[in-house]
Amino acid sequence: MYEEPYRWVEAVRNRRQYLDDQLKEGAPVVGIAYERGILLMTMSKGTPKLYEIYDRLALGGMGHPADLEKLRFNLLEMAHVEGFNRSASDVTGSRLVKYGIAPVIKQAFEEVFKAPFIVKILLAELGRKAEKDGFLTINYDGTFEEKTQYAVLAATSVVEQTMIGYLRQQSIVSLKDAVDVAIRTWAVGDRAQQLALEEGEDHDEARTGPDQQVIDAEILYAHLRRRIAEKTIECALLDRHVQGPSKYRALEADELRTMLPTDLSPSLA
Amino acid sequence: MQGDFYQLLKEQGYVFGTPGQVGVGQELTTATTILAFKYREGVLVAGDRRATAGNMVMYDRTDKVLEIDRYSVMAIAGVPATAYEMARILEHSFKYYRRTQLQELSFEGKLRALSKLLKENVPAALAGTGAVAPIFAGYDARYETAKIYFYDILGAEFEGVEYAVSGSGSSTIRGILHYLNTWGEQPLSTMPEEQATVQALRLLTSAAEFDSATGGVNREAGLYPVIKFITADGIRMMPDLQLQSLFESRVLRSA
Repeated sequence: MYEEPYRWVEAVRNRRQYLDDQLKEGAPVVGIAYERGILLMTMSKGTPKLYEIYDRLALGGMGHPADLEKLRFNLLEMAHVEGFNRSASDVTGSRLVKYGIAPVIKQAFEEVFKAPFIVKILLAELGRKAEKDGFLTINYDGTFEEKTQYAVLAATSVVEQTMIGYLRQQSIVSLKDAVDVAIRTWAVGDRAQQLALEEGEDHDEARTGPDQQVIDAEILYAHLRRRIAEKTIECALLDRHVQGPSKYRALEADELRTMLPTDLSPSLA
Repeated sequence: MQGDFYQLLKEQGYVFGTPGQVGVGQELTTATTILAFKYREGVLVAGDRRATAGNMVMYDRTDKVLEIDRYSVMAIAGVPATAYEMARILEHSFKYYRRTQLQELSFEGKLRALSKLLKENVPAALAGTGAVAPIFAGYDARYETAKIYFYDILGAEFEGVEYAVSGSGSSTIRGILHYLNTWGEQPLSTMPEEQATVQALRLLTSAAEFDSATGGVNREAGLYPVIKFITADGIRMMPDLQLQSLFESRVLRSA
């Protein structure tokens, strides 16, 4: 039935709808560069969503855990085989994405008889120098974008734009700044997703809403307090000042607690 | 087996340690005196810096005390080409395991990984092209203590409860270590860091005295042995400047 071109286009369109639907309740992911490196932040329920990929590469993902796991293994295999056979400097985010997983995701997306990957991926890369820090985001259809300073993942591109808009107004120097901005940006995204859900599917992407323009920090903290009842804050760093070649470390609850407003910290578990 | 990097490499066509015949008159590069002992805070691992081929000095700045990850060190004696390759495989194996399995490989698992590599290397070791007899030391998080193991060229693994030595100069210092530890002023395991360092410098200097393939200290060139400490906080290296001052004040005998 898909041999006619328009049928295939229709099938792909259905697929987008299906994937958007699957991702609509996913937790956003925020990546921010600060003075010492890169912070990745999300909120998760049980399964972690932030991972170490290589010495200077970290992964944040949203979507189906099994799909994310498969792609994570793909990345890990490629990175380590390359790092062993060539050198650690030859393992770059851009090569892993462009010649590695992006084609795989695209192929799965377009093979309409098979299941697509229900994922969005954010790859953070710590440069040798701060100005080389960067991000790559990959959508479920295999399209990818390169970014600097910050990058986000959210259910729809409209929500992502809202988050980026919010990030653009912030100034970030220290890790404490980065954590604070990250959780607020996360709340901006999560709140926008919730609003979209409540409005129903009938005009899902129509709303950018005037109230998205200026959002009071107190509203965001209140939103976080509600969400934190069922989820935990997850933060990971690519820290330039960590000794040795591996720069990844998870931000432990104790350290995170010192950086959050006090009424958010008890829920770190 | 899950999270096995070596298996992954082999699937990709990688071959480790192909044996070969030594050509007549061919002198292979080898490397020389390494030692490890327990001191008050953890384990000290030291190695001289000379690599030789027969009676020729190939290199005098070799680092034979290799950091495999934040908590383990492999000190190498034998053919460096093979030893470095082993260290590289181990380094990637431990990283790969940690990143795929989301937990650190256990200390026993790390020991076993080295043992397996040595076993695979037996043909090359027997042919004379790739014999390696390393010391592996690391912090065992489960038992909250630093430990020392040493290996023969066939891959047998032994625990060095108090100390371990390997390399051509090791026979010289093995006796000294035994004497020092048994009848010395205090057992090695109670020595603070500085005193332990002085002992290590003296031991390597003694090894260099009797073994031409061990480098010892070369003050004119500013060459000092590599000395590393393994404690609960990870691995630390003693800087050359500190080694120099300890050597000059506590090892050198002024006329």
